[in-house]
Amino acid sequence: MKATAAPSDASLTVDSSRLAAGRTTAGPRDRKPLTWKKRSTPWAYMAPAMLVLLLMTVAPAIFIFYSAFRNDKILGGAGKFVGLDNFIKAVTNASVQHAFLITFGFVAAAVILEMILGFALALPLAAQTRANKVGAALMLLPFAVTPAVAAMVFKQLLNPNYGWVGYYLGVFGFPKGVDLLGDPTSAWIVLIILDLWQWTPFIALILMAGLQSLPGEPREAAMVDGATPWQMFRHITFPAMVPFIAIAAVLRTIQAFKTFDSFKILTGGGPGESTEIINLGIFRVGLQSFNVGLACALGVVFLIILSLLVPFMLRVIGRRADPEEM
Amino acid sequence: MTTTSSTSRGGAAARVIIGRTFLWAWLLIGLVPLVFMLVTSIKPAGIANQIPPAWIFQPTLDNYAAVLSPGGGKSESFGQLLSNSAIVSLGATALAIVVGVPAAYALTMRDFRARKGLSSWILSTYMFPPIVAVIPIFVFAGKLGLMDTYPVLIVPYAAFNLPIVVWILRSSILQLPYEIQEAAMVDGASTWQVLRRIIWPLLVPSVATAAVLTIVLSWNEFLFALSLTRSGAKTAPVGLQQFTGMYGTDWGNITAAATMIVAPILVLMVVLRRQMVAGLTFGAVK
Repeated sequence: MKATAAPSDASLTVDSSRLAAGRTTAGPRDRKPLTWKKRSTPWAYMAPAMLVLLLMTVAPAIFIFYSAFRNDKILGGAGKFVGLDNFIKAVTNASVQHAFLITFGFVAAAVILEMILGFALALPLAAQTRANKVGAALMLLPFAVTPAVAAMVFKQLLNPNYGWVGYYLGVFGFPKGVDLLGDPTSAWIVLIILDLWQWTPFIALILMAGLQSLPGEPREAAMVDGATPWQMFRHITFPAMVPFIAIAAVLRTIQAFKTFDSFKILTGGGPGESTEIINLGIFRVGLQSFNVGLACALGVVFLIILSLLVPFMLRVIGRRADPEEM
Repeated sequence: MTTTSSTSRGGAAARVIIGRTFLWAWLLIGLVPLVFMLVTSIKPAGIANQIPPAWIFQPTLDNYAAVLSPGGGKSESFGQLLSNSAIVSLGATALAIVVGVPAAYALTMRDFRARKGLSSWILSTYMFPPIVAVIPIFVFAGKLGLMDTYPVLIVPYAAFNLPIVVWILRSSILQLPYEIQEAAMVDGASTWQVLRRIIWPLLVPSVATAAVLTIVLSWNEFLFALSLTRSGAKTAPVGLQQFTGMYGTDWGNITAAATMIVAPILVLMVVLRRQMVAGLTFGAVK
């Protein structure tokens, strides 16, 4: 793969050929053997940031890998080594399987719908008109709202007795006093709508910026050649937008996997366990039942799943965001 | 979808109208939750959760005053929660900038062979799910007696924003002409002097963007604040969730508090819209 990929692709993976290439482009100053001081200087500048990141990501990761094989309780003193017990419990437990399943379902539904709607919103929003300046500012508003506050406000709007949604739906002849959060299907619809409301603007604004950065000439040439709007979209606009679509999709997928606030506040995982995504599951097992071992085993599985997204992220974000690569 | 040139012009116009209608319908419907929040927060006592919703009333700031007033059977005033939020957000931002600027500088040094690998590692920590970090940090904080203190939120918030901070700053430094650094080096300047005297003054606008993003994301954080604080360091978004207990169902008070949480960051985000999107995509979208 490395041999066939374009230079910019190959340079995203850390390998010796790239380091060698980096040295040849860095110029003659590099050929002198570096003194110890010169070698250590960048590490000294890096040290504080690395310490913070090691403490908050690597150390917790080591802890969960260690605790996942033990049966420690937060409030029960030290436990003992239990081998793969926690993992066996994790993968054979029906509600854990359900939690992972609905997490994937939620992420897929939210990201796909947000990409489609975001694109549909970005196309009219990209035209640089005075109205669209206001439009872009309005677009940002939901996305700027504190997620915990947004969930709280949604909960009030949906209150079966006093909520605006129930009342105004009632005006249009829908049944009154329905608790939309009390039924699994409608609870899911509400959770997805909240996510769409809050996060589609993020996608739309990324794609809007992308559309505005596209050069005009190919479109003009195609128009002169008599291309239909659909042909222009399919063969010119869309291909040029692929990098932006990739950025939005990867970032949004990672964020969607971290979703916690809206579920915790709107449904708390209910009714029953119908909306208990894995983030809520780990929270409940670890911080409410204090079963650290099982929570850590779940965390290990979740961390491994999310790690699979890293190469995509390095590829689509790393390549575009890194001036050294351009 | 066969279109002749005459109908394609009509089709294109229809498409534009449909597109715009969808856009503005979305924007206006999207305002409903915010309108609800704002309108309810200025309703006089007693009509906040009246059905049908009251639209004609004498606006009042009583709810804001009630929420901010100390005492009254509440364990802590909302003003205290807002101030906790501000301290934690600003503390996390200060820490992220102080450790992020030197790191970003190191990652642009041409002699630094590990710079690519380290940049990728820092970017990849963005993937790290907070729920996986919160349990170990809960255990450590308990053992170290740091539960319910400011640092137990400040350090994780700084860490989780470092990928954004470092990538924004690194890419800004790389976009500065390298010759000015080189000239200073030839004149005998140390790396610290180059950073302090040459790079830092040119980096201030990017630092401001990175700082605002860190403030906003820290201000909005919920999971860590919920898990690691009880009262002393409790932040406003967590406090808001307990309002239903504290005030019954006084929607006027709840929405006034919600508005106070949202207003400052809404202003920051709208003013810096372009930079926010660029920052949240690590500089990949300008």
